[in-house]
Amino acid sequence: MSEKRMVDKNGMRGGAGISAIVLLVGFVFQWRAVVPAIAVALAIGSLFGLRYSPLGATYRFIKKAFRLSVPLEPEEEPPPRFAQTLGFVVSGIGSLLFIPGWNAAGWALALLVALLQGLLAVTGLCIGCEIYLYVQRFKTREVEAH
Amino acid sequence: MIVRLVVALAVAALSIVLAVLWRRREGRFDEAEGSFTAADLGVVKLDRPSAVLVEFYGEDCAPCVTVQKRIGKIASEVPDVQIVSIDAGARMDVADRHEVRRVPTLFVLDSDLRVIWRASGVPSEDAIRNALLGPNWAGRPAPKTARQQHVRR
Repeated sequence: MSEKRMVDKNGMRGGAGISAIVLLVGFVFQWRAVVPAIAVALAIGSLFGLRYSPLGATYRFIKKAFRLSVPLEPEEEPPPRFAQTLGFVVSGIGSLLFIPGWNAAGWALALLVALLQGLLAVTGLCIGCEIYLYVQRFKTREVEAH
Repeated sequence: MIVRLVVALAVAALSIVLAVLWRRREGRFDEAEGSFTAADLGVVKLDRPSAVLVEFYGEDCAPCVTVQKRIGKIASEVPDVQIVSIDAGARMDVADRHEVRRVPTLFVLDSDLRVIWRASGVPSEDAIRNALLGPNWAGRPAPKTARQQHVRR
């Protein structure tokens, strides 16, 4: 088994909660800039690894500032990183939809990301991670078929 | 502004409702049908235990580690249960046959390898114990040692 980088699942949940709150507050006040900002934050985690994610860094800052005793819960990085990629794609498309003025569609995608991030924050259920595992199984099946 | 606030609260509420629904379903053992073969389990011959606990796990699956720790603890308490762990990625034929759509997925089998219970997600230790030793256990008494331990709890 190849060695894989580990990430803190609670950090991921914390970061997801932060992004959900930011997107919902942005929606209420119609701050469209929060959508590309979250897209960029997700893109950084996706491209460079979750340890560099601004959302994770914000969570760690809050945890340290308020001395929260949330334990580390190690998890392998590939599934949550894939989930961040999906989040980036959806929020990125949402950001692009603002350009021609399709605000409702842009916010709909942003709210979808907020919903899934909120679900991850509350339960730990990572839909993107589940999709990753499905994709991995599908890829393995394809390889075996040939 | 008020409409947007209501929409935002509705999204937050939907997250919580989905979370509650998911938590109620997560790791719950439900009655199931079907059967395994010794070949499915990757063993030539079973030791004829009273129950077989089959765990499908995945290489990148963090919750599987939690389940394995719980199973390991319970295995030390319940000697008459055989534990079989199957890598769902490596044994996709078996996973597909038993419609394993996610990992971890657990099956509790009787001594004839018939499926009694099935759970997806991370069951609590008590849920696993109940599935192995509970009153609905295939209408048969639990193993003596295990039943005594169960009563003490």
